[in-house]
Amino acid sequence: MVYEFRLPRIVPQMSGATIECVHAKVGDALKMGSKLVDMSVDLTSAFAQECPPISFFRVVLRETAWLRKFDVEPGRFCQLDGAIAVFSTDQNEDINQSAARQIRTTVAGIAHHESMWTGGHR
Amino acid sequence: MTSIELRLGPLEAPGFNICRSGVRWLCDTGQHLRPNQVFAYCNVNLEPATGRLSGAPPFADELELQIAFAARVGGRISMNSSAARGGYLSVRGVDQWDPDSVIASIDPDNDVGDEADASRLRLLALAGRRMTALADVHSGLLPGWHGRSRAWWCEMGEMPPTLLSLGICDATGVVVGEQCAFFEMFEASRIPAQMVFIPDHPLAPATPVLLEQLRRSPEQFESIAADLRAFLARSTPAPSPDDWVFGGTLLSVMQRNPIRDSYNVFSADGLGHLGPAEAILLSLNAEPQSILRHRKLGYHVHIMRHHQAAAGPAIRAWLAEAFEPVRRSIDDIKRDYETLIDEVRAATGGRIIVLNRMSSSGYEDISSYMGFDLPLSDTLANVASKELNLMLEDIADTREFHIVDVDTIAANIGGREHLPDGIHQSGAMQMVLRQEILEIFQEIRTSQKPSSAA
Repeated sequence: MVYEFRLPRIVPQMSGATIECVHAKVGDALKMGSKLVDMSVDLTSAFAQECPPISFFRVVLRETAWLRKFDVEPGRFCQLDGAIAVFSTDQNEDINQSAARQIRTTVAGIAHHESMWTGGHR
Repeated sequence: MTSIELRLGPLEAPGFNICRSGVRWLCDTGQHLRPNQVFAYCNVNLEPATGRLSGAPPFADELELQIAFAARVGGRISMNSSAARGGYLSVRGVDQWDPDSVIASIDPDNDVGDEADASRLRLLALAGRRMTALADVHSGLLPGWHGRSRAWWCEMGEMPPTLLSLGICDATGVVVGEQCAFFEMFEASRIPAQMVFIPDHPLAPATPVLLEQLRRSPEQFESIAADLRAFLARSTPAPSPDDWVFGGTLLSVMQRNPIRDSYNVFSADGLGHLGPAEAILLSLNAEPQSILRHRKLGYHVHIMRHHQAAAGPAIRAWLAEAFEPVRRSIDDIKRDYETLIDEVRAATGGRIIVLNRMSSSGYEDISSYMGFDLPLSDTLANVASKELNLMLEDIADTREFHIVDVDTIAANIGGREHLPDGIHQSGAMQMVLRQEILEIFQEIRTSQKPSSAA
């Protein structure tokens, strides 16, 4: 079975998210609890101000799957509902078919860390 | 109902002539005003009456000096159009302060009877200390770029206590309000007060930074300045204009000590001098998990990411080469708070108020914590916030210390709608926080007053 991960609406005012840190690569067998990606949501367009209202989030899988397509890199901006990853339950399953559903994930707000694309002290 | 003429009323600065510009309106004729709602303002300057002074004049470093006007009663306002001179005459101090000048009239909501004060305007003084004297903007409320701005009601017989805001965004909007001139805070306040605001750039007010500002000697500051000068002199790439501006601003801020600052004021009674702030408002959100420490001199800087972008390549190279990041545990942050509370109490008698952190989110759906590294407070923002909030409660068990419970207030009025990113509040939430801060400030003021029974 083929699953996909599209950028969900984490915050009501968001129009997209920036990839901050990638935790998995194509071909990985991911388990429940595997980290997929860290993202930032910048609400600047919704709330114009000097101090950008940026929040950081982590996406974690809630089910086992093979990561088959993962077209992201740190710094890339993803539109809301844009395709981010494709998974399959069998390692060699044909992924050129419609996804059966969204893969089950957990999304949680996280603290900024040094591995993020958005800089730390430097 | 009889219309009431609104007069400037007395404003005194012995030894000086108070000159004012034409009036600039902040509302339209016919608009309904609440009591104490500011509706107009003018610039003022203090000219030495004798033409020569033996020392520096008061307010010499506060090049923005304005008086804002509010009526004591609610009603419908009518402007006196001749009070607005226009052009530079509404910028420069062209008229002597005349207490009997009528700038507007008001049709009050209720009969005010013989209340003499109803015709005397409430005068809100605004003063701005520029980050650089070059930040010379002619028009607007507290215009330009200030390293410190403040306001106080110029009422007769009042020596207002001071609330100093040393927070980041979660404190800024609450204290300075929509027009960055403290209007909402003063409209909400039922007690005499001076409000002082220090911006969070380039140095954010984390507790290690504040502690070092409190302790720093002129010699230590000179060592810091010499180190930066030496780095910029040998820097490759050569410092850009952005580097000079950033470096100069950083040094300007580092040599000041806002917690020990005292203040000149003028009012209907004349000139006065206020000591250091009685209450200091901080943000728990200003405490980073990792802070930069100078490898050689040992001092700390905390520059928020969006402000680091203002630096040029040389300053960025300096931050990378001369500093090292230091992790801070919750215990470290607790110890810094306790030290700051104790040292401020000993140095000035000031009390600390802290805005805690929003610690829950409607955006999460955590069903398993397997994907989050331990300790969870290092990874999950809301777990970190809960532990930090509890840390503040622990401090309050052993010290006189005040917490503004942003977490509970946001949960009560709706975090999703009123605090969407956890820091920047809606106007409605700012109103609630303002009231909470003023109640704590009143409590501090009452506890600091000497007992009359002694």
